[in-house]
Amino acid sequence: MIKNWPGVTLLILAAGAGPGWAATSPPLPTEHLTIATVGPKSPHWLYVVDYAYANEIDSRVWLFDGDTYRRIGQIDTGFIPGINISPDGKTTAVATTYFARGGHGTRTDVVEFNDNNTLGKTGEIVIPPKHAQSLAMLFTIGYSADGKFVYVPYLTPAASFGVLDPVKKSVLSEIDTAGCTLVYPWGPNRVSSICESGRLLTVTLDAHGKESSRTTSEPFFSADEDPVFVQAVPLKDGYAYLSFLGQVHEIDFTQPKPVMRTPWSLVSAAEKGTWRPGGVQIGAVHRARNELFVVMHQGGDGSHKQGGSEIWVFDLKSHQRKARWPIDIRQTGAVAAVQVSQDPAPLLFLATEEAHLLILDAQTGKLKHDENHLGQTPQLLLNP
Amino acid sequence: MKTLDRLFENSARSLAKRTSRRSLLASLGQMLTGAALMPLLPIDRTARAQEPARPTAQEQKCEYWKYCAIDGYLCACCGGTSTSCPPGTQSSPITWIGTCHNPSDGRDYIVSYNDCCGKVSCGDCFCDRNEGEKPMYRLSRNNDVNWCMANSESNYHCSVSVILGVAEK
Repeated sequence: MIKNWPGVTLLILAAGAGPGWAATSPPLPTEHLTIATVGPKSPHWLYVVDYAYANEIDSRVWLFDGDTYRRIGQIDTGFIPGINISPDGKTTAVATTYFARGGHGTRTDVVEFNDNNTLGKTGEIVIPPKHAQSLAMLFTIGYSADGKFVYVPYLTPAASFGVLDPVKKSVLSEIDTAGCTLVYPWGPNRVSSICESGRLLTVTLDAHGKESSRTTSEPFFSADEDPVFVQAVPLKDGYAYLSFLGQVHEIDFTQPKPVMRTPWSLVSAAEKGTWRPGGVQIGAVHRARNELFVVMHQGGDGSHKQGGSEIWVFDLKSHQRKARWPIDIRQTGAVAAVQVSQDPAPLLFLATEEAHLLILDAQTGKLKHDENHLGQTPQLLLNP
Repeated sequence: MKTLDRLFENSARSLAKRTSRRSLLASLGQMLTGAALMPLLPIDRTARAQEPARPTAQEQKCEYWKYCAIDGYLCACCGGTSTSCPPGTQSSPITWIGTCHNPSDGRDYIVSYNDCCGKVSCGDCFCDRNEGEKPMYRLSRNNDVNWCMANSESNYHCSVSVILGVAEK
């Protein structure tokens, strides 16, 4: 009978799943509450900074694994933070602001240090309440190459920067920058700031973090005719400043006074003024492969913060475009930020205006994963 | 009336007993010096709220011509208007400016984009337009920084756009 009536079999099984049978089955084992650990590091880890625009006092960093597509954990980062990772990769430093009563009350600015092995806070330095609160970029806090100094730009709106000792957890000095702004660190003791005149101001520090000398470069761009983005792209030997119209100004920072190389263009004569770099974190370089990845969009004047619809890949030696990778922005939103892992099998990470994190094969452009809604407004991506 | 006359007379005599002509001259001198200094002091252009905000539908749209270089939440969606901060907030005394074209009269206007401060982000009507906007090295044209930075309550809530005048060609 049962063989011929499968429905009856189901009924019997369903009855067996009731309370009577449960009493005779072994109970579930007891569980133990634990705290998850971060686990071994991977070059495919990514620090995703969510600026949480709709509730800016509550920004955070997500640590995300680009291979398993899982969130490893979170670092709290306060109000409009500057965030960077120490040269040894062990620490995430956060320059941020807290208000005594949550959204209001006395402002305290602080640089917090987070252990990247535990994602716990390990210390802090209270700084003057004037750290520069600006858009997402790598230059609102920075380390010296040897990790002995931390630099924080101040804005009141008078511009200066603080020099901190991350070991002794102290403020060493404040350097006036004569209207030039942000911190572009190089070597153990040099900091450049970018000026409206199109120049770089470079300050050299002594062993105590005090100014020992300063130089000013020749102008390399015009703020009126073709401004450069302040979100420079780190190179092996300096930084590349991309202009609104697509000029690439590579600057060698290894010399006491930065040396400007001959600028080159991301766009052809026909593309100029039509295709432009844009977004928030607009470019990334794979240093060993000598490749530059740029977020590009079609737009006119004033579109410099518009997210990209394509990623363009350039050989930094020949300046030739190697690839154009269109992004399905109707599905994901336009691209606001780009980062690339530095290993031999690199991943390309893209954060979009609709809070997707896209993971592509950085050698082919093939989409490997679309993480839908990683936070609220992810706009800065950092590699260990 | 006699009572009033007596009152003022007594008051004047009392004043004369307490003060000298020299102190009168000194006080007058202080007043004149103060008057001479007044034009040098910054002018608070912040209008005092006269009545509850009633924003137009136009002011709540990012496409509104005055918003050509704004980056933030429109105060007109947060309890204010395009020219008034929401109740309980403070306006930022320092601002960035833009030059926007009014299609209705064909003129270009200088617009001041003040932030309204002291509460957490409004979170509604986000608007990011960047005509003539420049990076941080040209701060007066930059909309990326928190312009509440110099307020006693420096949290960012929303942004307004206030016409300062016609842009000269």
